[in-house]
Amino acid sequence: MSVTNLLENWAQFRHFHPVEDNPHDPYKWAMSIDLDACTGCNACSVACYAENNLPVVGKEKFAHGQVMHWMRIERYWDEDGREFPDQGAQFLPMMCQQCEAAPCETVCPVAATNHTPDGLNSQIYNRCIGSRYCSANCPFKVRYFNWYDYPTTDNVWPAEMTQQLNPDVTVRGKGVMEKCTFCVQRISAAKVTAKGEGRTVREGEVQTACQQACPTNAISFGNLIDPEAKVHKQWKAQQVELDKEEQAKDKEEGGSDLRGYRIFEELRPYPSVMYLERVRESAI
Amino acid sequence: MGVPSLNGRKKIEAENNYHDSPHKNNPIYLFGQAALGVACDHLFAGGVHTMHRSLRFFVLLVGLFWIVGSYATDASQAVLTTEDSLGPLVEQPFEFPHNRHANDMQIDCMYCHTYARRSAVAGIPPLQKCIGCHQSIDSVRETPRIKKLFEYWEGSEDGRIAARTPIPWKKVHDLPDFVRFNHERHIKRFIEQQNRPTQEACGYCHGDVKEMTVARRNKPLSMGWCASCHEKDHPVSGEGGVAVGNQAYWYSFQKPVVEAADGAVKAKGPNDCWQCHK
Amino acid sequence: MIDSSFDRRDFLKVLGWSGAAVALGGCGNTSIEDGRETVVSYSEPADYVIPGIGVYYNSTCAQCDAGCSINGRVREGRVLKLEGNPDSTINRGKMCGLGQAGVQHHYNPDRLREPLLRKGDQGEPITWDKAYALIAEKMKGVSGEEIAFLSGGISGHLKALMGNYLDSFGCKNHFAYEAVAPGVMRAANKKSYGVAMPRFSINKAKVVLSFGADFLGSWVSPVHFSQQYAQFRKGVDGQRGVLIQVESKMTLTGANADRWLAIRPGTEGILALGIINALGTATGEIAAVVKDYDRARVSRETGITPGQIDKIAALLKLRSPSLVLAGSAAEGYAHGSQNAAAINLLNHVLGNIGKTVEACEAVPFPQMIPTTGNTAALKSLNDGLVAGKYKVLFCYGANPVFTAPGALKFKENMAKAGFKVAFAHYLDETALQADLVLPLDSALEDWGTQVPEYLATCAQINVQQPLMEKLHANTRGMGDILLDLLKQRRADEYKGYEDYYAYLRTALLNNKNALGGGKFDDDTFWNETLTQGLIKLEGPVSAVSFRANAVGLKLPAPAEENAQYPLHLIPGVTASLRDGRHANQPWLQESPDPLTTIVWDSWVEIHPKKAAELHIAEGDIIEITSKTGSIRAQAYLFPGIHPDAISVPLGRGHEAMGRYAKGYGVNPFQIMDAVYDRDSGELAMHETRVRISKTGQRVIVVKDEGAAGGLQMGRKIAVRVSTDEVDLSEEA
Repeated sequence: MSVTNLLENWAQFRHFHPVEDNPHDPYKWAMSIDLDACTGCNACSVACYAENNLPVVGKEKFAHGQVMHWMRIERYWDEDGREFPDQGAQFLPMMCQQCEAAPCETVCPVAATNHTPDGLNSQIYNRCIGSRYCSANCPFKVRYFNWYDYPTTDNVWPAEMTQQLNPDVTVRGKGVMEKCTFCVQRISAAKVTAKGEGRTVREGEVQTACQQACPTNAISFGNLIDPEAKVHKQWKAQQVELDKEEQAKDKEEGGSDLRGYRIFEELRPYPSVMYLERVRESAI
Repeated sequence: MGVPSLNGRKKIEAENNYHDSPHKNNPIYLFGQAALGVACDHLFAGGVHTMHRSLRFFVLLVGLFWIVGSYATDASQAVLTTEDSLGPLVEQPFEFPHNRHANDMQIDCMYCHTYARRSAVAGIPPLQKCIGCHQSIDSVRETPRIKKLFEYWEGSEDGRIAARTPIPWKKVHDLPDFVRFNHERHIKRFIEQQNRPTQEACGYCHGDVKEMTVARRNKPLSMGWCASCHEKDHPVSGEGGVAVGNQAYWYSFQKPVVEAADGAVKAKGPNDCWQCHK
Repeated sequence: MIDSSFDRRDFLKVLGWSGAAVALGGCGNTSIEDGRETVVSYSEPADYVIPGIGVYYNSTCAQCDAGCSINGRVREGRVLKLEGNPDSTINRGKMCGLGQAGVQHHYNPDRLREPLLRKGDQGEPITWDKAYALIAEKMKGVSGEEIAFLSGGISGHLKALMGNYLDSFGCKNHFAYEAVAPGVMRAANKKSYGVAMPRFSINKAKVVLSFGADFLGSWVSPVHFSQQYAQFRKGVDGQRGVLIQVESKMTLTGANADRWLAIRPGTEGILALGIINALGTATGEIAAVVKDYDRARVSRETGITPGQIDKIAALLKLRSPSLVLAGSAAEGYAHGSQNAAAINLLNHVLGNIGKTVEACEAVPFPQMIPTTGNTAALKSLNDGLVAGKYKVLFCYGANPVFTAPGALKFKENMAKAGFKVAFAHYLDETALQADLVLPLDSALEDWGTQVPEYLATCAQINVQQPLMEKLHANTRGMGDILLDLLKQRRADEYKGYEDYYAYLRTALLNNKNALGGGKFDDDTFWNETLTQGLIKLEGPVSAVSFRANAVGLKLPAPAEENAQYPLHLIPGVTASLRDGRHANQPWLQESPDPLTTIVWDSWVEIHPKKAAELHIAEGDIIEITSKTGSIRAQAYLFPGIHPDAISVPLGRGHEAMGRYAKGYGVNPFQIMDAVYDRDSGELAMHETRVRISKTGQRVIVVKDEGAAGGLQMGRKIAVRVSTDEVDLSEEA
């Protein structure tokens, strides 16, 4: 990523995908999350801590907003002034949306965050200098900064707990930004196996940690351009397209009766995560 | 020195257990702070003249960028591709003669370092591998190094080494935690797909091991050095200039370019940052 | 030209420092990382051990008693992460957050490493041999009645060994105690259905009406039920299932309900009878019982509107089969059994028996079937301690000093036992009171078999195998300890077993045929079993049919106003913390509570209306006083609670058990009154009445939700749609 390279090819780098001269091929990793199946149990969040060497920051740092949960469950209440939340709560698993035109990529002063050919928003820890501009730009606020050197902070990873750390994932030091990677270490491992056999990764071969843990299978992850992939079928059935900021179905009279939507689509980051609306029974 | 407290916040005394240890002393960081401090002092020290202020400010900015730049380049160095960028002589439990095995006996690298074609790490042969041959090689059974070897297998006479103790080999090639090098992919590419001889392929990065006794790092192993190979135009085509393999083969290479004239296909290696820096 | 105080000297100084910085920045090529100079080196590795590639072993999760099977990823001899075992009929490859934290139970820095003997206030390390000798000495001359063994729920071969050990003394005092257990429901089910725990087929129901059963969070087998819930939502015949939750305090399941109804605490049974009345289909005895429970009366007593009662009845009639569940909210009263009986009656009237309340298979080895824990056992033990009955007390898998209701004064009573032995992983509150503490292997280092109470589709014996070598040289597995103790008593019978592994292997191989391994040789069968991590069996099926005597149902009137203690205290059971045994696992402490998003601390949930009455704002430190005692916690305004109740979560407020548990939060067990369900003798957890007052202190609540406090402010973030506005038929 030399400066010359950057300047000459800026337009190409800034292109959002897919476009004809730079299509996703053969992978575009995407996710779809069914909010009706999500129970808010937080299993995905804890699984992510386990898989990606996330530090536990403790009560005080949590109070300062310095928590490191790459996958968080947001809980919303209804806002129509009822006495009780008699249609329950809304749970929303939120993690890096791996935007195609990510607002964070453009503002990094050292290009520590880029777009990979398979559609992920990459975060290169050793390049990051900690300007935190990317986090300021992220509309989803899914970027987390290492305000402290957690590997050397007491009680984060005391003696034996260091043995639990996943050797496939870098342990981040102070001053580095991090975020959900769609378990890129698992994707790489699956790709290595597949390449060894001379083929591409098949549906079901790679599962993100959150997807694997979720007891209700609310999270679907896979290759958006593989017609066999569940994610592909879901996006298609929901008529949500990656490169649109307003879907055709939403332009119809009276909106759409399909559940699929993307958050902050109108801001044009072109997120790779589609959510399926939560459903509540009308008969009760 | 008059360094202003740039970390102005008071250290929060926690009611809980999460205390910050002092930040590991990074001399660059400290000097950078010092430089900034000195510059700040001068900037604020006095002087009414606007030109001074802007000059000082300019110097301050330059200093800032210099420090930041040095910070950023800390990890990756300028490309050093000279062959004599040797690593330190690493002392091993006993001197394993690669020349005897790889040169005289012409043993394939992967006979011992089997994991190279199956895993990201090439691995050190387990003790069993050495003993497997040496238990039947009577001619060298009483030589000092082989005696040492068998001490690990059978236990030493003075009892200091138990039987079946793995040999504590020392690392010769190491990469930082944020770099992920995958041996399997490179073996598959060079040896299986491009049919290069094993010793040559391993030698690209590990040097001419068959001339060494104890292994010694022969290449800088810096990012620039790795990238210098990835940036090359590899002519990779089969017979008649036909591109080898399908999309899976080409994926992660940069776009292959077909030279119209002779049909030769060239491509540069992967340059997706996340391939190596997860 | 520059002329000022800033001169060349200063200029060079600045440059010099920066230059130095650059020069120092340009250091060497990649060198060996400090402390990492040795390579992973093996001696005689197995074929499948490849450095850099993980080996996966199946075992059983022990974080709760649901008995999910896990698959552990082991790299270079250390277990890194746990996944679900896809072969298990219970969790089918899925895991909850509590299960994931199993690695933190194993690697916890505060694990006990040595046997400890009390010397005054301290524990002195001693050898295992000395510990065993001491136990033998203390047991000399002690009769069976003077020995008590307190454990949690126990099953499998460990139960057999424990039983044999007690039997060797003629001791019948085994107390199986679980602080959070559906004890009342088990008793009521036995009466109503003939089995304590039938199979609840949520995925076959079109409507689930749950009276406080938190089946997605912490009730019985949450991972299993969550999967069934996912199928339930996709729907039988393509029609999406409807969940109605009735409870006084919103649980995780309640947050996922289509309709959540805040019911007056204790009146769940009244509502159940009211719904039967509204259904209008009951005849004979049942009709007579529900005759007086008309809409008006029921509405007045429960707070549920007549319109809502009608809607529920209409939906239940229209969509069948349904499923009605009685959870801790219904059980937790002195008339809890009556509530549960009324709810079971509703299932019967709706015709759900045999459709969604079904027969279950039992494991065909009675000695392995779980002895389930309940709270009545604690009371019996406590009574015995008060009477000074016990000369020796063993404690395993239970922490009664922390979880016993304060009114029982368990800590003082425990001191009355002569010699107290605790088998523990950590120095928890109970271990601190013991005379001898024996350190246990973690669940990921130990061998064992486990039979869960709730079996899914077939009978299953879970196998537990170590996922790595012991972390600490001097801990031992409970099975090994019991075997060693048994060798003291019945040497001839047990001397042939070198260790628990040998015992298990022999025991399973002896029953090879019955376990389905008839066609394999011993070694193959054993290896296959370990590879699977579980054994699926066919077992006898207990019939489920409705048999309760409806006339016996006697529901009391709703609780009266109590001027001195006006509010009900509802102890909240969260999925992560449960009864507090995992409070020392930092992932769980930092995992925000799904409903309040609060971390690392306790809170008291108060309805905003009630809070406004009492001028309480978020963060006010509230003193909560019951007859038994008082605690203080930060107030959190929570709309999901009945205004007559407040809720404090269980699990925090430890005074011991390590750096991640000690000192965080408060323990509502401490102020719990000793009120019991009349029929089953179980502790009525929701019967504690309290009053609250402001202390004048205020803190900032540490929580994950932002300043907007769970509001979307008109943005389209988490969108919800009604069933009549959405087309679910075309989904992939």
